Amino acid sequence: MAALLLPAVLLVLAMMVAPMALLFRYSLNLYSPTELMIAAVTPGNYLAAVTDPYYWGVLRTTLTVAFEATLIALILGFPAAYVLARMQGRWKGPLTLLTVFPLMVGNVVRAAGWMTLLGNSGVLNAALKAMGFGGIEMMYTQGAVIVGIVTVVLPYMILTLASVIESIPVNAEEAAQNLGARPFTVFRRIVLPLSLPGVVAGSALVFILCMNAYATPVLLGGARFKMMAPAVYDQFVRTTNWPFGAALAFILLFVTLGLTMAGSALLQRRYRR
Amino acid sequence: MTLKLGRRTLLGTAAAVTLAPKARAAGQVIVGTWGGDYAALLADNIDKPLLGPAGMEVLQDVGNQDARRAKITAERSSRRGGMDVACLSDIDLYTMSQLGVWEPITEENVPNLKHVPKAYRTAYSIPHIISGKVMVYNPAKMAAPKGFIDMWDSKNAGKLGLIDIQYLYVIMLANLAHGGPMDDFTRGKKALMELKKAANPRIYPSNEAFATGMKTDEVLYGPMWLARGVFWKKGGINMATAVPSEGPIAYVSGASVTKNAPNKANGLAYLNAMLEPRAQNAFAEKMSYAPTTDNANVPATLMKEIGFTDAETAAMKYPDFAYLAKETAALLDWWNKEFKA
Repeated sequence: MAALLLPAVLLVLAMMVAPMALLFRYSLNLYSPTELMIAAVTPGNYLAAVTDPYYWGVLRTTLTVAFEATLIALILGFPAAYVLARMQGRWKGPLTLLTVFPLMVGNVVRAAGWMTLLGNSGVLNAALKAMGFGGIEMMYTQGAVIVGIVTVVLPYMILTLASVIESIPVNAEEAAQNLGARPFTVFRRIVLPLSLPGVVAGSALVFILCMNAYATPVLLGGARFKMMAPAVYDQFVRTTNWPFGAALAFILLFVTLGLTMAGSALLQRRYRR
Repeated sequence: MTLKLGRRTLLGTAAAVTLAPKARAAGQVIVGTWGGDYAALLADNIDKPLLGPAGMEVLQDVGNQDARRAKITAERSSRRGGMDVACLSDIDLYTMSQLGVWEPITEENVPNLKHVPKAYRTAYSIPHIISGKVMVYNPAKMAAPKGFIDMWDSKNAGKLGLIDIQYLYVIMLANLAHGGPMDDFTRGKKALMELKKAANPRIYPSNEAFATGMKTDEVLYGPMWLARGVFWKKGGINMATAVPSEGPIAYVSGASVTKNAPNKANGLAYLNAMLEPRAQNAFAEKMSYAPTTDNANVPATLMKEIGFTDAETAAMKYPDFAYLAKETAALLDWWNKEFKA
């Protein structure tokens, strides 16, 4: 049986672990504008990043956007997932497909659509002006980025939650109702606790996607808005400072991993009670 | 009819099949280029008419120049790179030359280089097209700016648009407007901090976003390439250009062949074709960039629009590539952390 895992393990080792190890090695090097980098073993890049208030600000923005987008996706996704999970008959297949449909459009294309909607001369502002209201500055704001990211991650949340809610027996809800529980009580005491594994998995998945968002913050956030993934890109590509870019990438990885594991552990502990 | 397949026929067929892809590969050239009009003009005026008849197959590797630079940097120690020709800005070509990634360029391996004025030549690239940083403005809403220094005029506050990806040139022109040299941008940075406080300029992420801002009157003026200004004006945006009193800042877009190019000879042939009059004329007519060769024969009326007068050319300022190669990372840091914060 173990042999069956070998191809996948080899693929992961070659395609993920090896580049990551190389990247980590780069993060300990010194930057040179004319020689790209100088071999060294120094924590200097990590220290420079964690002692720089600018990168604290970038990390704070990234965390705020990721938390808010995850929460909104959970609030919007839960009812949709519940309906989808409990649905019977011929509409279930097409609706599931419709949920996946946004994933068939690339992030850049989707963001371009939002740009035409949210721009100062975009559809929403034109409609507001036609109704006699003044225009609102929507593009290049944190709100625009959150809206854009939520539309990217919502299908992941819905599908993850729906697969778990499907496994909760309907009898449990019916029994609670028979015993006099109101719909909100059924949700709070039966559906939500039993669907917590889905909430944990969906939130972790969505949070990771949000933390690493690139195209949406760049296109909808504008020049003054900075999240970690675009900051990493800046270091690698715009200034060719690979050692510092690699250090920032690992900081992003550690923060994402740490918070995801802590959040999951917290919810799981609550679930076990 | 019977088909006889003898041993020799089979072996011959097998050999032909084995060798065929290699024969095609010998006729290939991989060109790293910007997309959009630039890539289309390369295809229509170089790839198909000039190199197609010679049996050369051109493969375009389309992307932005930052990504292209990163790709070449990543591949520089490989024996065989993934790109033959790289189209980049003059600053990037110089910076990359410091990493030793380019094949030397001479009149021997690129014969059309003899048509390029000495001022534009380098030992590692060809200059493909040229323009200069000027001011673009909405003539219906404001008077023509006289120079870059007008950005600091209080009557223009709230009307200015800047472009994030052009941060180096913005710092450079601010420095120039305040009497700074091309190899120390201290004055420019100080002036930009004052500008930020006094005029609150809008910063657009891309050239296209700036054009949209001009079109919708979000902003009324800003620094931009003369070529782009003329191009957008032709595209229907109410825009005029003004050559700054400090002198326009030269921008040359060029191309080089990588040292580890898989098809080096074809890469050099491609550079030569980029300097052919047909290619130079097409970029002048369609993208409003001035030619870099003396035999391009661009119509005088068009040259008047896209070129500079002798006095303007004499006043033209050229970036100090060595300074920029050393300081780009620090300047981007300053731009992000201080100016945009």
